[in-house]
Amino acid sequence: MRNKKAFQISFAWLFAIIVGAFILFLAIYGVTKIMKTGSDFTSARTGAEIGVLLNPLETGFESGRTSLLTMPVDTQIHNRCTETGTFGKQIIKISQKNFGKWSATDVDVGFANKYIFSDANVEGRNFLIFSKPFEFPFKIADLIYLTSSKNSYCLVNAPSRIEDEISDLGQENLYLENCPANSINVCFGIYSGTVECDIYVNENRKSVEKEGEIVYYETDALMYAAIFSDVDVYECQIKRLLQRLNELLTIYEDKNAIISLRGCSADVDLFTLKSEIDRFGNSEDLMNVASIAEHINRQNNLENCKLW
Amino acid sequence: MVNKKAQMKIQQMAFMLIAVTLFFVLVGLFFLRISFSELRTSAELIEEKNALLLVSKLANSPEFSCENAFGGIKINCIDSDKIMALKNNINKYSGFWGVSGIEIRKIYPSGNLVECSSSNYPNCNYLKILPVPSDSGVGVSNFVALCRIEEINNSVQDRCDLAKILVYYGGAE
Repeated sequence: MRNKKAFQISFAWLFAIIVGAFILFLAIYGVTKIMKTGSDFTSARTGAEIGVLLNPLETGFESGRTSLLTMPVDTQIHNRCTETGTFGKQIIKISQKNFGKWSATDVDVGFANKYIFSDANVEGRNFLIFSKPFEFPFKIADLIYLTSSKNSYCLVNAPSRIEDEISDLGQENLYLENCPANSINVCFGIYSGTVECDIYVNENRKSVEKEGEIVYYETDALMYAAIFSDVDVYECQIKRLLQRLNELLTIYEDKNAIISLRGCSADVDLFTLKSEIDRFGNSEDLMNVASIAEHINRQNNLENCKLW
Repeated sequence: MVNKKAQMKIQQMAFMLIAVTLFFVLVGLFFLRISFSELRTSAELIEEKNALLLVSKLANSPEFSCENAFGGIKINCIDSDKIMALKNNINKYSGFWGVSGIEIRKIYPSGNLVECSSSNYPNCNYLKILPVPSDSGVGVSNFVALCRIEEINNSVQDRCDLAKILVYYGGAE
């Protein structure tokens, strides 16, 4: 009889246990959700701030600009790119280290007017950024090259114009000599020295070879882009740049029509360039676009009323 | 009697538990309210920062800049003919700069505000590029040169006026 009483649980206790467990579950669930929202909020805010802080990198007279981006904690910047829409989108995702763990986020911050060239995931606390205008044949955009201060790049056997530009930039993780031991070696031309090359730049073929994959470039702005970014990021951004070029060509076509009303039109074959852009598949086709771009630039330079 | 006492206790506990739950819900709602207000402040600050940084650089972006069209590269120079062409294609550019409105006002030579359209251009002094929202956000401005090609006495010349570019943020985008 006594033993039976020991196992007896009153209804009040049972009720309290069940409802208490439910309240506790709700509280834990709520706190977890709030923490996730907080993490997403930080990620979205940081991503948006990074995008906004890239605005001053828009160049005017100068050929290139460099700046330092310092984050309060260890940060991973995930560089994503999409070609959908008129201009595609530059997407930045941010993960930050909290209590030794990387926060996972699904929040994407997108910018239609930014072109960031970097590895798909860049990690660090200090990020070095430089920008350079991409002219093809007129200015299309300012390209932004983002690297972590953790990564050093050693430019081996670089041509003098690249050496001069890198020296003028003075970016702390780009070396021309006395490179740190763990540098990423970028070798120009046919290099036969003792350095083991991670990236090969062939200026004759206008190609960059990285991790067994080859991408093609035109102009120095795209050469840097190919050096500092992943192949997928590079190819996607190239397509976005050509999407913007296509829209700029439409604007120049309309401008030509407007100025022709004042007796001053330019005979520039913009249509051929637009057709070539429509045929564009990947960076290998850049050469064809470049030759037409050069041709229409010559046409424009000969005009009394220049379009650009 | 014993049963009634037990029922009372259960009722007491049920009310207590409901009160505790409601308390936590209210605390949660209060916390969410603060979080959302912080989120809104943050978004407004980012919008403001974007507009401030953008307005000083927008004139040099390819859709606006004079490039070499007016005898050499000019900084903070806007090609007004190109802007008219941009206006024709502006539906593609909505959301492109992340601001709610962009306009250019000629400030010298001064005169009554006349909005530019294809019918009165270039006899106008106000270029509405991205229409400023009706609930009008906040505007930030920068001085620029507004250049165009003009026919004067049967000869084509470049003409540049002093203008102000205004970027609006915070309205309905």
